Amino acid sequence: MSNYFKTPLTRRQCLSLLAKAGSSSAVLGAAGIFGLTNIPVNASPVALKPLQGKNRKVLILGAGISGLTAAYELERAGYRCTILEASHRVGGRVLTLRHGDFIDELGSPQICPFDDAPNLYFNAGAARIPAHHTGILHYCRTLGVELQLFSNHNKNCYTQDDAAFNGQPVRIREYEADMRGFIGELLAKSATAGAMLDQPFDEQDLDKFIQFAQAYGDLDSSLTYRGTDRAGYASGGVTTAGILKQPRPLPELLRSDFCTGAMHFAEIADQAPALMTPSGGMDSIVKAFLRQLTTPIQLHCQVSNIQLQPQGVAVTYLKQGESYTEQADYCLNCIPAQLVSGIENNLPADYVAIMSQLGRGKLTKIGLQAKQRFWEQEDIYSGISWTKQDITQIWYPQHDAFKAKGILLGAYSWEPQISDRFAAMTHQQRLATAIAQGTKVHANYAQHIENGVSVCWQRMNHMLGCGAVWTEELQKTGFKLLQAPAGNHYLMGDQLSLHPGWQEGAVRSAWHALADIERRETLRSTGAQA
Amino acid sequence: MNKIWLVFMLLSSAVLADSKQPDARYCLVCHGSAAQGNIAIKAPNLTILPDWYLRQQFTAFRNNWRGSVANDAHGKEMQAVANTMNDAEIEQAIAFIRRQAPVKLPISVNTTANVQHGQQLYQQCQACHGAQGEGNAQLHAPPLAGQHNWYLVQQLSAFKNGWRGNQSDDSYGQIMRQFAQSLPNEQAIADVVAYIDSLPSTQSSLRTTP
Ligand SMILES: Cc1cc2nc3c(=O)[nH]c(=O)nc-3n(C[C@H](O)[C@H](O)[C@H](O)COP(=O)(O)OP(=O)(O)OC[C@H]3O[C@@H](n4cnc5c(N)ncnc54)[C@H](O)[C@@H]3O)c2cc1C
Repeated sequence: MSNYFKTPLTRRQCLSLLAKAGSSSAVLGAAGIFGLTNIPVNASPVALKPLQGKNRKVLILGAGISGLTAAYELERAGYRCTILEASHRVGGRVLTLRHGDFIDELGSPQICPFDDAPNLYFNAGAARIPAHHTGILHYCRTLGVELQLFSNHNKNCYTQDDAAFNGQPVRIREYEADMRGFIGELLAKSATAGAMLDQPFDEQDLDKFIQFAQAYGDLDSSLTYRGTDRAGYASGGVTTAGILKQPRPLPELLRSDFCTGAMHFAEIADQAPALMTPSGGMDSIVKAFLRQLTTPIQLHCQVSNIQLQPQGVAVTYLKQGESYTEQADYCLNCIPAQLVSGIENNLPADYVAIMSQLGRGKLTKIGLQAKQRFWEQEDIYSGISWTKQDITQIWYPQHDAFKAKGILLGAYSWEPQISDRFAAMTHQQRLATAIAQGTKVHANYAQHIENGVSVCWQRMNHMLGCGAVWTEELQKTGFKLLQAPAGNHYLMGDQLSLHPGWQEGAVRSAWHALADIERRETLRSTGAQA
Repeated sequence: MNKIWLVFMLLSSAVLADSKQPDARYCLVCHGSAAQGNIAIKAPNLTILPDWYLRQQFTAFRNNWRGSVANDAHGKEMQAVANTMNDAEIEQAIAFIRRQAPVKLPISVNTTANVQHGQQLYQQCQACHGAQGEGNAQLHAPPLAGQHNWYLVQQLSAFKNGWRGNQSDDSYGQIMRQFAQSLPNEQAIADVVAYIDSLPSTQSSLRTTP
């Protein structure tokens, strides 16, 4: 026991723990915050100098967050932009689904069947923003995107694991209260037993530490955990005396994997409260950019060839079966790298070789329309319930309490094998699976669910992945290479950030490329070779 | 099934237009901008494959001869698409692929492979696939020359481990599976593929830039 105190977690160990709880991007994100890597969390937006009459044209390939960021900044500085987007829609992986939207999944096309109502929407891609993502929040602030709070952690949600509690869902409130109680008791007792005397602790420190353990676990005066009202009362508590719930035995708690995984999800730097999300859907950010842009985005334009030229870049694209070619001074390419590797090009071979080695991330999200907001009857407003089944999570809307209907997130897993299993199903099978598994969390789930959407990102047209997967090795050898321009061509997107899977990475990658263009333009204006 | 459902659900002409894919543009998303294949997606070069073989493979995916195994994520991907297409759409897609001008593929040589050994191993392939890897329509054996080496490796492994050629009504697949199983190990697969890789592509004109 005393080993715990002798070898406190180093920051590195702590980071690897976080990596297990979340994803590798979680680790990179936390590293930035802990000052271990060099992501400048508070960097200010790039300031492109106005061109003042100079004529510069930029081709932007892909109208996701990185492309929109670049287009907005370039236009403001007087650059002429052409924005080519292969899909029928703008926004890329920022995808808010509503009544009648077309979901362009290869092999599983769907039309969103939600009722036509402003509160019935589903963020099938990006959904939440932590406060330290100052890049994307900069645009929310300056472009007038209204934000509301988003909750990853709600004590009234459930944890369900077939291995514990007979598979019955247990309130996170109860689970966490008991777990903290036992941990607190263990801490307090080992501290009083002198287990920490070899630490540089004096009597006062020790006393304070025991008080901490007591407060942490809500222990009684004998430093024993006997249940707590933190878990909620079994009965009473307002006009009659509250009766405490019986604590669950520690071995039973340990049988659930909640304590080794999801319980700590909201400790991950990027996932910790308080989080935010745009009111009305994440695509409010996309709409805000579109309000500012004067250049129309050209949809259904699938880039088919990228050629570096001595003075710029030529890009060929397919539109309604016809080929067109455009030339420009610069090309900002936001197309997912795994797709660029299939596009004809004369980019340097080592550059293309890295792209073709990037993995395709796999994520599935399922959205379900509920007839009644049954979760409100269970005192749940926002937050996440966790289950060990494939659906992994159920999210409850943080918006529009007490409305007639609502959209739940019915499945969301980061395990590639789980996403493969969902991908292999028909849409109807996915919904049936989501409902069957959700029934273990909410007994009458099936009778509340009316319809739904399923989005397997590794199958989405013009994406074929939820984001780039860099191995540590490839990141060492390839990241800097891909981040640097090849001629006047820049690869961008969250794939070229140390924060893949976050809009912040997309914004920062655009700023990085724009800063380099600014540097070259400055050189050019002084007559030097850029 | 999806089709019928879509027709019922279509709400506006804009959505209708979005949900249709004129000219089978879907093909080029995975298989590359000129159907030349894409290693990142593990999607093969289609331009070397004759119409009859493309048709045969659509059938194979729809009959569950390919894409039936749970771990075969790439096979399943193509199967899902094949399952949404009717016969007319399949013909349209094949015609679309035919219109793609073949492009020159990047050369990636496997330096650890033994081409001579590969040539010996290829003796048994030759009867069906031809001395130059040109394929044989009568025997339903596709051309191999000009296909990406990583794809050939992947498919030989798929036959060997039963991802392909494991269904009783897939007679051509079963024949190929026997031959793949006669290759003892990964090295043998690499060697025979290196030999196929050394054969000149049977395609006449290759385009480097548009
Ligand atoms: C399930 C999921 C959950 C997420 N959750 C969050 C979250 O909570 N918070 C957060 O901040 N971020 C989240 N993200 C990440 C966020 O969505 C991305 O980081 C961001 O949207 C990426 O923007 P981008 O510009 O880099 O790329 P994309 O949005 O992928 O844009 C690329 C564009 O290129 C287009 N394109 C592809 N091929 C071609 C072609 N040949 N020619 C022309 N155009 C082409 C595509 O159609 C697309 O529009 C999530 C992503 C997913 C998938």
